[in-house]
Amino acid sequence: MAEETPSQTVPETVKAAIADRPVEGRVCLEAGAGVGNTTAGLLAAGAARVYAVTDDPAHAAAVRDRCGDATDRLVVVEGDLRQTPLRPDSVDLVTAHGLCNLLDPAALAAVAAEFSRVAAAGCHLVVDDYEPLPESAAVRDLFAVENAATELATGRSALTFYPASLLRRVFAGHGWTFDRERTLLDPVPWTASHLSAHAGVVTDAIAGLPPELGDPLERRAERLVEAIGEEFAGTMYSVAMTRPDGDETR
Amino acid sequence: METRPLGATGQESTVATFGAIALNWLEQEGANQMVEHVLDHGVNHFDVAPTYGDAELKLGPKLRQHREDIFLGCKTQERGYDGAAHKLERSLDRLGVDTIDLYQIHGLEYESELDEITGDDGALAAIREAKAEGKVDHLGLTSHGNPDLILDAIDRIDDLETLMFPLNPVVAGKDDDEYDYEAVLERASEENIGTLGIKAFAKGSWPPTSELPEEDRPYANWYEPVDTPEEIRDRFDFAASQGLSTVVTPGDPKLVSMVLDAASRYDGMDEATQRALIEQSRHDDSPVPEQLHH
Ligand SMILES: C[S@@+](CC[C@H](N)C(=O)[O-])C[C@H]1O[C@@H](n2cnc3c(N)ncnc32)[C@H](O)[C@@H]1O
Repeated sequence: MAEETPSQTVPETVKAAIADRPVEGRVCLEAGAGVGNTTAGLLAAGAARVYAVTDDPAHAAAVRDRCGDATDRLVVVEGDLRQTPLRPDSVDLVTAHGLCNLLDPAALAAVAAEFSRVAAAGCHLVVDDYEPLPESAAVRDLFAVENAATELATGRSALTFYPASLLRRVFAGHGWTFDRERTLLDPVPWTASHLSAHAGVVTDAIAGLPPELGDPLERRAERLVEAIGEEFAGTMYSVAMTRPDGDETR
Repeated sequence: METRPLGATGQESTVATFGAIALNWLEQEGANQMVEHVLDHGVNHFDVAPTYGDAELKLGPKLRQHREDIFLGCKTQERGYDGAAHKLERSLDRLGVDTIDLYQIHGLEYESELDEITGDDGALAAIREAKAEGKVDHLGLTSHGNPDLILDAIDRIDDLETLMFPLNPVVAGKDDDEYDYEAVLERASEENIGTLGIKAFAKGSWPPTSELPEEDRPYANWYEPVDTPEEIRDRFDFAASQGLSTVVTPGDPKLVSMVLDAASRYDGMDEATQRALIEQSRHDDSPVPEQLHH
């Protein structure tokens, strides 16, 4: 296969998650923009405007690089999703593709409240994330090391895998009505490139730790990446919800 | 083994087609055993080409013995009338049969070739003549070239009955036009053209020969294949679930048994699992480990 330039390819997971949502002509909030997979998907599907929000400057730059040149429909916002500069009732579609696993419960609660604040009447919400991994999954050991390192360094977990049923209830508590759930990936491919990215989080986290604490964690992460190689485990789901037309919930 | 209609040919092909290039790597006795093995699995569609070394010759004896049970595809790399007419006779001769069920223009790569084969003095004229004489039953085309070119070929060859082209999770995961074989599949289905999938088992290109000389490659495939039973099964199920008529077995005889086993057990693949394979190869492909998620 030919060398890949950072292409406009939209992952099948993203396509499957937004295929049955109204995107064309809508104002979208892509919450946790990452490297811009969903941003690219929303733009390709004809979104009127995409606010791509991330708290990571490198991600913001990556999204601009990937999608920014091509369109005046994109606004990359570098900021915190717990408190965005978006106006109330201004968004028709919120997407959170692979975001929630990076939010600890306190942050999740705050982000859910913020989604509800910016959502217009009739707004759609798509939350795509991972079911908790089965006990037998070897990648759990790597994620455990990752969480240990970030807990020690920052006092917060790096990863929390929320069941779809739990996220549904969280958003229902903010006035969102369940619409549908579908499986995006079954099983989830944790490739060598994913595993080394997770090991990279460990390396970053221990930079601030005393070596006697950090170094064993880093070594363990490296050994796990080596030993696991690649694993297919768990599932990724997509939950879609909507806000009632007349907003009596706030 | 499941069978599916091969477009409008009237042929019901098994979901696996035997890529007879595998015979080229075997002695005659081994080749005979391989053909019996393939037939034991119920495979009824074979594909060969004159450019596959001795494959035609080695297929010959068992092909003649089981002629009624085998739908035989062969190919020509000739683009002109004389060459195609001549090479067809040569293939009939080497195979030792009177008829080739499906004769395919092999490896279309350039627009100019399309002009040539469709011209008055082109290969298609020779194949159509052979059809009239009963030497060939159906007309097909193979290409791993630009999907747009294949779409053009569909437009320009009215009597085209089958197409052979690459389809695997690597290709399916790319939106870029140069990999859009899904558009070819879609169009072929609309036109009721039979579809044969190749490169279903490709993992990637071989390392450069400076790193791995050709004679040190562990498999006789054009590409580096997946080679565990699980991966082979995933790849087969993926290809077969895209809507192809049939999936061609890989070129190395060591892999054929595993593929036949997968084909015999084929029972569909749900979309979440198809996406899992696409995601896997998308990340395999990416040079920088930057992404935590899917
Ligand atoms: C794994 S990416 C999600 C993938 C992305 N949606 C896509 O489609 O490519 C997660 C993103 O969420 C961002 N993020 C996590 N917590 C955040 C927060 N509290 N505020 C803003 N962005 C956050 C991360 O910086 C990262 O850009």
